[in-house]
Amino acid sequence: MRYLFISLLVILTFSSFAVGGYKEKFEREFMSQPWAGEQAEENACIACHVSDKMEPKLKNIPQNWQMSIHYENNVSCHDCHGGDPMDAAMSMSRQRGFIGAPKYTEVPEFCGKCHIGILKNYLESGHGKALKKTGKGPNCVTCHGSHKEEQFIQKANIDIINEQRCTKCHSYERAMIMKQALFLTEKKIGELEDNFKRLKKEGVFTADDEKPLFSTQAEFRALFHTVDVSLVKERTDEFRKRLDIIEKNIHDTLGELRFRKNFSAFILLLFTGMGVVLFLISKTPKE
Amino acid sequence: MFNRIKKWLEVRIGLDDLTRTQLTEYRVPKNVNIFATLGFVALAGYAIQVISGIFLLIYYTPHPDHAFRSVQDIMTRVPYGWLFRQMHVMGSNIMIAVVMLHMVTVFLMGNYKRPRELTWVGGGLMLLVTLTFGLSGYLLPWTQLSYWATTVVTSMPTAFPYVGDFIASLLRGGDYISGITLGRFFALHIAILPPVFLSLIALHIFLIKRIGISATPFGTSDEEKRPLTEYKKKTYPDGSPYYPYFFQKQMLMVMIYVAAMFFLITFMPALFSPDEANTPANPLKTPFHIRPEWYFLAPYQMLKLIPNKFLGISIQIILVGIFLLWPFLDSQKEKNVFKRPVLRGVFIFLLALWVVLTFWGRY
Repeated sequence: MRYLFISLLVILTFSSFAVGGYKEKFEREFMSQPWAGEQAEENACIACHVSDKMEPKLKNIPQNWQMSIHYENNVSCHDCHGGDPMDAAMSMSRQRGFIGAPKYTEVPEFCGKCHIGILKNYLESGHGKALKKTGKGPNCVTCHGSHKEEQFIQKANIDIINEQRCTKCHSYERAMIMKQALFLTEKKIGELEDNFKRLKKEGVFTADDEKPLFSTQAEFRALFHTVDVSLVKERTDEFRKRLDIIEKNIHDTLGELRFRKNFSAFILLLFTGMGVVLFLISKTPKE
Repeated sequence: MFNRIKKWLEVRIGLDDLTRTQLTEYRVPKNVNIFATLGFVALAGYAIQVISGIFLLIYYTPHPDHAFRSVQDIMTRVPYGWLFRQMHVMGSNIMIAVVMLHMVTVFLMGNYKRPRELTWVGGGLMLLVTLTFGLSGYLLPWTQLSYWATTVVTSMPTAFPYVGDFIASLLRGGDYISGITLGRFFALHIAILPPVFLSLIALHIFLIKRIGISATPFGTSDEEKRPLTEYKKKTYPDGSPYYPYFFQKQMLMVMIYVAAMFFLITFMPALFSPDEANTPANPLKTPFHIRPEWYFLAPYQMLKLIPNKFLGISIQIILVGIFLLWPFLDSQKEKNVFKRPVLRGVFIFLLALWVVLTFWGRY
């Protein structure tokens, strides 16, 4: 019986080795797909930009994009520049909607395809008007960066307003007043984001509560793009109230998590105690 | 009143007799160790899974559009739903660990040897059913983690020529994980596997009761080396009574099991719930670093390492076959693994390999 079984195993093993061969489909569809890493290489834009035939100044674009907020949010090359990343031959075809890199003055409209509210306020602001009038005013990438050279598009935050950046065009005084007007609200947004991160780590599904925060911060930042300090100050209270509601929800959830922790700790102690009692009973000498 | 009910039951089912023969007069060997309680602990673990699972079943909706939301509702809106879900999630992982430990200790003590071959085979099948429980239950929350981990695991059979695609297709109900897969896994998890598992438990307990509990081979002379040609129940007249002596030990271990479960729920509630476990399944977006649950990591990594995938999967099936039929392959009379250097060496090697592959698969 034993020998028969072992013989069968040996025959099966060797025959499987000989007959099975290399399962290409399996390899292609499953094993060699390191789940996201290689998917990027399927993107014709990236494949070409990282290749040796690319001009050196454009070679870093994929790398800089991977460090950007766009990459974090799955915004890929074709989402802004158009074209077809799945078809190398047609990737830069106008028929497939390829736009390429915009001219300096066209950048606001280029970004504004997605950031609609911000575009509207920007165009009405001093920054937007200056660009329109002189062709030299600041556009989106002046403050937020792009993926050229050593830049990458940063997540919007209050530190973007700084003396070094603003004084390239004008004095820092007005910008500083604006920064002060934004500070407390931005700080609160940052705290709420940190709290959401904490809740996620605790295994809480936060997407439903994150949506109002996202829309509030998007609207608040759109408002900032008017570069109108008095308007920002006037409407700050409205945004603070909305953030307060989100904060209360987060605090309620954190309170619920504390209750859960205490409750399960109580059950833990209960069973530990019962275990100790059982241990002592089992060690008690019997008649 | 109480006495009348007791007498009524006594006449009909012989309660006193049942208690006497099954509990107080049923004796276990004097040197029985704590590892002999692991089967009972696994059974208690299964009971916890059944009870918590029934609570989850009340609120869970097995549909791709509603599964994720229904699980989130259990976690946030259903009173104490989080407790039952956490017990089910943590319990499933600890139970698998306990069943594995039970098999390892039975192996080390040589308790699979005749006449307990069928007890071992039944236990091995229960381990496989437990893993299938894990696999099928993993998909049900319909998260990114469960969706893609199931994609990985159900892709494994495709390495098999001729029948591999059919097996994968049978599991998924198509080429990809879909609502059909969810329906199949749900049916498997709550309707098909439980009766199979309960039947195996019944067989396992019947065999233990019929043959008698095995003595620990360490320290005492082993009486079971004699040739076995006819049925003889193993009894221990000089042993300790099952109740209360051994039952207390079993309950102590169950308390440790439950305490361990609540330790994880209290201090590591997100241990098995990374970010992807809180994101709804998106078939169009493959997350980074997706991998199966810890108990499938070793076979997964092994399959990745062996260049010929069919050979890889064949080796795994053969290993499972050897594992299940091991009592028929091992003809040595010595039960104590510490007196068998070759077997001990092979065991340590396989254990180390399993640990290395598991960690390798994780990182």
